[in-house]
Amino acid sequence: MKRIFYYIVLTLGAFIMLIPFLWVLSNSLKTVDNVMKIPPQYIPNPITLGNFKIVLNELSFLKYLGNSFFVVVFNLVGTVLSSALVGFGFAKFDFVGKKILFTLMLATLMMPAQVTMIPTYFIWSKAGMLDTFLPLILPAFLGQATGIFLFNQNYRSMPDVLYESALIDGCNPLRILFQIYMPLSKPTMMTLIVLTFIGAWNNTMGPLLYLQSREKYTLTMGLLTLDQSPIAAANVGVKMAGSVITMAPVIIVFLFSQKYFVQGDISSGVKG
Amino acid sequence: MMRKSNFWGLLFVLPFIIGTAVFFVFPVLFSGYISFTDWDMFNPPKFVGLKNWINSFKDPAFWISFRNVLYFAAIFVPLQTIFALVIANMLNQKIKFKGGFRACYFLPNVTPWVAGAIVWKFLYGYDYGLINYILRSLGFEGSYWYDSDKWWVAIGSLALMNVWKGMGQTMVILLSAMQSVPKEIVEAATTEGAGKAAIFRKITVPMISPMVFLTMILSTISAFTAFDVFLTMFDVYSLPDRNNVVNLMVYREAFIYGKMGPASTLAWMLFIIILIITVIQRKFEKKWVHYEN
Repeated sequence: MKRIFYYIVLTLGAFIMLIPFLWVLSNSLKTVDNVMKIPPQYIPNPITLGNFKIVLNELSFLKYLGNSFFVVVFNLVGTVLSSALVGFGFAKFDFVGKKILFTLMLATLMMPAQVTMIPTYFIWSKAGMLDTFLPLILPAFLGQATGIFLFNQNYRSMPDVLYESALIDGCNPLRILFQIYMPLSKPTMMTLIVLTFIGAWNNTMGPLLYLQSREKYTLTMGLLTLDQSPIAAANVGVKMAGSVITMAPVIIVFLFSQKYFVQGDISSGVKG
Repeated sequence: MMRKSNFWGLLFVLPFIIGTAVFFVFPVLFSGYISFTDWDMFNPPKFVGLKNWINSFKDPAFWISFRNVLYFAAIFVPLQTIFALVIANMLNQKIKFKGGFRACYFLPNVTPWVAGAIVWKFLYGYDYGLINYILRSLGFEGSYWYDSDKWWVAIGSLALMNVWKGMGQTMVILLSAMQSVPKEIVEAATTEGAGKAAIFRKITVPMISPMVFLTMILSTISAFTAFDVFLTMFDVYSLPDRNNVVNLMVYREAFIYGKMGPASTLAWMLFIIILIITVIQRKFEKKWVHYEN
């Protein structure tokens, strides 16, 4: 009896969590007249792909989609490389200032973005890099706290014998990391890749501050401006189609990599 | 075993050293400095002493936006914690489709706020919104939600959405904590006739209380630093003071009005408030968190 009650509550809860997704999908497939119907049409009839055509072609979401992928790919490469390097350094070496640096890393997690926002914007503007993708990409190559944590944990738990024997064979520490340790840390890498993908894809504040010309917009920026535009006010279905396009890639990545995602989330949540 | 090598150690962490110096240490110090200046980012900063701090402190708009953040957190944090605890506890039983349920609850967490906000604005809509439709067909009156003239309705609607968005993560953390509660204790209690509810209240919750506490601190900090939800749900350009929050004020002062000095002051006030609240929470921690020795 109790178990049936659990299933009912869990299913009801899950359904409530999913309503916004079902609703956005349903309305993205409706015609203009049917979106505003009372009582609402739950399943669109007729089903139309017209909203998607408008969003992708006329409202340049295809371009934004490309921009988002471009930014995300560089974020992935940068974050994985730099976090592995720094995590390895913290895990395997003793050096001057290590304690201070580790404390600083904790501090970066605590500080609200608003405190550093203005000076950071100033740096990019002085460097002449406003309205380029560089402010959204370069920081990823300089290590990121969650990634460093994950790799640090992982490398500390790996046997030192590997290191010693490679050293005797004449490997230098950089090669030891890239050829021996990194291939062994694939689960950590996957976790970080998924977390970084989602973080970079969903980033709103970065594009809002640094991207000015429309053809450079990422999807989140495109959607934000679409939401405030008159075109969308006249046709809610177009906004819904834009939302579906923006959500779909992260949802697909999440569903295929749940295992890594949840693992990473736990360890970053607990250790952070 | 750690090797002592300044050369290799520093070489490996060099990206982090550069990144932290440029994007953390310098910005923090510089932002502290400009909070005492008048600065438009084009002309050199002009030192004005405590002017910005005194003005912000005297500005009713600041206190309103601070009240709004507090209210937002007061709704969001307890609700999120309670829902996450209940759902995690159910998923901790012998249940099928555990992975599927977990994915459903987690899904909002991975989607971008902008897309979520567009859907929620539609759900909350006055004339054609699904929520008002349901209320009206149950015989209630429809209401304005995120666009209400009453600040507590507007901010409250956003807090509820934030529960939808954030609950999954808290639930996953609590679930993993629950799974490490020793099975023997639960079994012993069951054989002595304790019911599920009693086990939840007297064993599970006390055993995982450090983790509950941690998630509450994390949620509180996330409530105080929330930006995307307000940016995407409210119109920054025409936002009335009654609905403002500190983060949006910082953004607006800096990037719409070009007042970098007051904006930095507000950002620092927010940081100080977060610190104070974290310290207060830590004091309370000793009262009710159970740690194993």
